[in-house]
Amino acid sequence: MIATIVAKRIRSLGPALLVGVAGLTLWELVVRVFRIREFLLPTPSSIRSELVDNWSMMRHAVWETGRIAVSGLLFGIFAGVVLALVTTRFRSLNEGLTPLAVAVNATPIVALAPIFNAWFGITGTLSNQAVVTAVVFFPVFINSAKGLTEVHPDEIELMRSYAASDWTIMREVRIPNALPFFANALRLVAPLSVIAAIIAEYFGGPQDRIGNVITSNAGLARYDVAWAAIAVASALGLALFAGALIVERVSMPWRLGVGGGDSNNNPGRET
Amino acid sequence: MSTAIGGTTREHAVCIDSVDMAFNVGNDDEVQALSSIDLQIEQGEFVSLIGPSGCGKSTMLRLIGDLLTPTSGSVSVFGKPAHDARVDQDYGMVFQHPGLFDWRRVRANIELPLELHDWSKADRTDRSAEMLQLVKLDGFGEYYPRQLSGGMKQRVSIARALSFSPRLLLMDEPFGALDEMTREHMQGELLRIWKETGTTVVFVTHSIPESAFLSNRVVVLSARPGEVNSVIDVNLGERTPDTREDPKFFQTTTEIREALRAVEGAV
Repeated sequence: MIATIVAKRIRSLGPALLVGVAGLTLWELVVRVFRIREFLLPTPSSIRSELVDNWSMMRHAVWETGRIAVSGLLFGIFAGVVLALVTTRFRSLNEGLTPLAVAVNATPIVALAPIFNAWFGITGTLSNQAVVTAVVFFPVFINSAKGLTEVHPDEIELMRSYAASDWTIMREVRIPNALPFFANALRLVAPLSVIAAIIAEYFGGPQDRIGNVITSNAGLARYDVAWAAIAVASALGLALFAGALIVERVSMPWRLGVGGGDSNNNPGRET
Repeated sequence: MSTAIGGTTREHAVCIDSVDMAFNVGNDDEVQALSSIDLQIEQGEFVSLIGPSGCGKSTMLRLIGDLLTPTSGSVSVFGKPAHDARVDQDYGMVFQHPGLFDWRRVRANIELPLELHDWSKADRTDRSAEMLQLVKLDGFGEYYPRQLSGGMKQRVSIARALSFSPRLLLMDEPFGALDEMTREHMQGELLRIWKETGTTVVFVTHSIPESAFLSNRVVVLSARPGEVNSVIDVNLGERTPDTREDPKFFQTTTEIREALRAVEGAV
């Protein structure tokens, strides 16, 4: 059973692997054949060798940035979920807070990074964590709130027919109903947290983080090192995305139903 | 509220006493949904509510279930206010939308009302097994709702409504979303369950043959505001698949149809 699932997984990954390998080969060939200058586009092989040569620095940088991204992500998720629960429970709060949240979201939050540096200090991690949290918060809040409120009215009436309390309805109906919406937000914000962290790092701060490694090496015309750091950053983003998928699978076993196929791209529920 | 039947005093299952129901009272969009409704339903009866769309038949069902409160008049269920009956779990409810929770397996869906009323795990397991048998879904307990067909989902919904043995079953167009064949089959099943459990049923429908096939009495409502236009007694005896081809069945549906036409003509 598990063996077949694994085999199926590998087979489904086949085409993606093929495209990846073909893309890298093409890249290598194009750069060599057309003699594209190193600072415009280095070859995958030179990026790889810089990655190996600077491995300890890269590993440290990805750890530093990863910590900022993940902690900011968790804070943002926590804040978004809590506010969604509160606004769902107390509707009047919802009317006041949602427009405010929309207004905050319309502000390009990463542009606040220099301000956050002034507020929270440029040497620590707090300033960059705050940028990540602010970026993550909104999609989580909006999606969770949507999932908590978009419940079929019959399901609420059914629960009321059992004389269930608001809290029971929240626990038994609203929260499970919101899970697919939350999972969609999670897929979005997990890689977004890495992007936010790196952009925040572009505005200065300690030099041992991915964003600073990219800017400083690009400034020194060491583009292959900058590219190696970008590769590491994208691996970090992918890892967080994969984490989001695992959370989704584990938290919603009913979505893996026999015969139901993979319907994870379908938020909400069939009616 | 009680009547004497054969010398013994027995409560009505449902007693609706001069009920008016309006929505958005005091606003420009005030709607009078129901007007001076009087209706008594005996225990063990199967009563259908039928009428043009928007006549307030679903509203009436929700008044009985205390999901809505009448603007004036009173609703009592088994001799007590509808609110108390709801809190005491005297009725089970089935909607057109099966309303099964995707995240619960079929068995856990059936056990939900039992869980909410603190039944022990062993009792719940026994009862859900019994219910699955009643609706002929044994073996499907560990499935998730999305793996079932529409008819099967509606059976689970009925099993869930009956799991705590309510004395009254409120059904709001439960078979409205099913195809004709499944629908007729489910009607037969519902009558079997009704006979086995002795539950009183109030059934909202817009299908004339459905109301004739299922009910002891058909209540015809007029539209806006909904009023009880006529109550038709149905005497078709034991229902079998042949009942649908019986001339008496045809007579009954004609009678209901004419009552409905009279009502729609008045709109």
